[in-house]
Amino acid sequence: MSDIEDMLSGPEPKVDTERALARLRARVEAERIAPVGHGTSTPRPFVVNIWLRGLAAAATVVLVATLLTVSGLAETILTIFEPRQLVAVPITTTDLSGAPSFEAYGTLTWTEQPKPYDVPDLRTAARDSGMTVLIPGNLPAGVGAPRYGVMPKTTATFTFSADKTRQAAAAQKRTPPPMPANIDGSKLFITGGPAVVTFYDDGARPTGATGATGASPFTGMPKLIVAQGRPPVVQSDGVTVEQLQSYLLAQPGISPQLAAQIRAIKDPSSTLPIPIPVDMATSKKVTVQGVEGIFVGDSTGLGSGVIWQKDGIVYGVAGTLTEQQVLAVANSLH
Amino acid sequence: MAERLRLGTVPGRGMPPAFEELFRREYPRVVAIAHRVVADSDEAEDVAQDVFVSFYRRHPADASYAAPWLCAAAAHTALNVLRSRERRGKRDAVEALRRDAQAPDPAQAAETAETRSEVRAALARLPERSAALLALRYGGLSYEEIAAALGLRLSSIGTLLRRAEDAFRKEIAK
Repeated sequence: MSDIEDMLSGPEPKVDTERALARLRARVEAERIAPVGHGTSTPRPFVVNIWLRGLAAAATVVLVATLLTVSGLAETILTIFEPRQLVAVPITTTDLSGAPSFEAYGTLTWTEQPKPYDVPDLRTAARDSGMTVLIPGNLPAGVGAPRYGVMPKTTATFTFSADKTRQAAAAQKRTPPPMPANIDGSKLFITGGPAVVTFYDDGARPTGATGATGASPFTGMPKLIVAQGRPPVVQSDGVTVEQLQSYLLAQPGISPQLAAQIRAIKDPSSTLPIPIPVDMATSKKVTVQGVEGIFVGDSTGLGSGVIWQKDGIVYGVAGTLTEQQVLAVANSLH
Repeated sequence: MAERLRLGTVPGRGMPPAFEELFRREYPRVVAIAHRVVADSDEAEDVAQDVFVSFYRRHPADASYAAPWLCAAAAHTALNVLRSRERRGKRDAVEALRRDAQAPDPAQAAETAETRSEVRAALARLPERSAALLALRYGGLSYEEIAAALGLRLSSIGTLLRRAEDAFRKEIAK
């Protein structure tokens, strides 16, 4: 026995697999956890893909949509909202499943739909987006040629509705606090983008990215994604951020922990929350391009990403890469 | 019925047989990996439950990458638990480990828990990949299985593992 093994050893756990399986069955039943759909022809990618996509979209209006529809909470701080800083907000699976969807509070109408499209080269990406598109000066080995996508500026209007809130709550057999009269019928005007996303595929994909097992779990995933975009701006026709926060954080299904985290944001009108699903990812503060950014690591340790804001633009770099590789790419953008 | 279809599972009918088979096959190993990290049987089983729920939500049971995914997730989830325990303070960490510290008398149990707590604190301070390498290796995985789980080259595992072990010894000595 090596010294390390000696140090890490202890009484071996006595495992009762059938009892553990029964416990899992009960949890799946009680929490109504659905398995992934069957019959798909391509392998389901790792969970890393979920937040990789999220990070890539972070610099675009898609982030707004994600925040609004997935967390159901970010709207609490989006009134007259022009982010100048980012903050990681840990969310749990329970938060995601328990929080009401944004659609439960009213109607979202796109005035300019998010319609991303491919462009042939960097010059077109820069022209269409109206931004100087930064490119990495340092790419890890094995990264292929870039592909570019542009998300034009997008706008939407959200109208709060007390009737819709009551109906959504009744369908879930819940009783929400009454919507204040000044919120009912009020509007939020959301603007996002433009944004540019650069995808780098695996340049020389081996028979399996994991080497030993053959089929790659990352089939179809870019190796690296670099995104930049104008952050979302939200304007209100009267309701203040405090009024919205007070009302929405009192909704059933919102955990006290999450509500406390949202309330703890010092300047909600200028802070963009980055939801970090704690059962899938971890996050920490890092310095990127001389400013503070948020590093996010997937809980499987196979992917990572970093997001930061500088000179009015939100940047994101993510990939199936190590922390050092992702930060090296991020710091090499020029 | 629409609700049932949307959920993808029928209440009372249980989980897909392929998933249950995967669970039976991999659960002991997932617990073993987590236990190497958290050194507490109950916590290791909680980690394993979360790992399987996570997999169940997002991946088909017959995925070719199921076993390496579960092992990697066990290591990283357990390390997250360990770090959050460390953040809560030394007293909590020792108390958590006392449950599993089997010793004939309370004083010896306390000493064992204290030693294990220091070892775990050192593990928590290691870089993520090094800690995961140690958890997987001493959780019983072969080099090939570690390479698959962490997405590393098989040829680099020996070197990375030795570096991780050296770093661990240095942390322990601090």
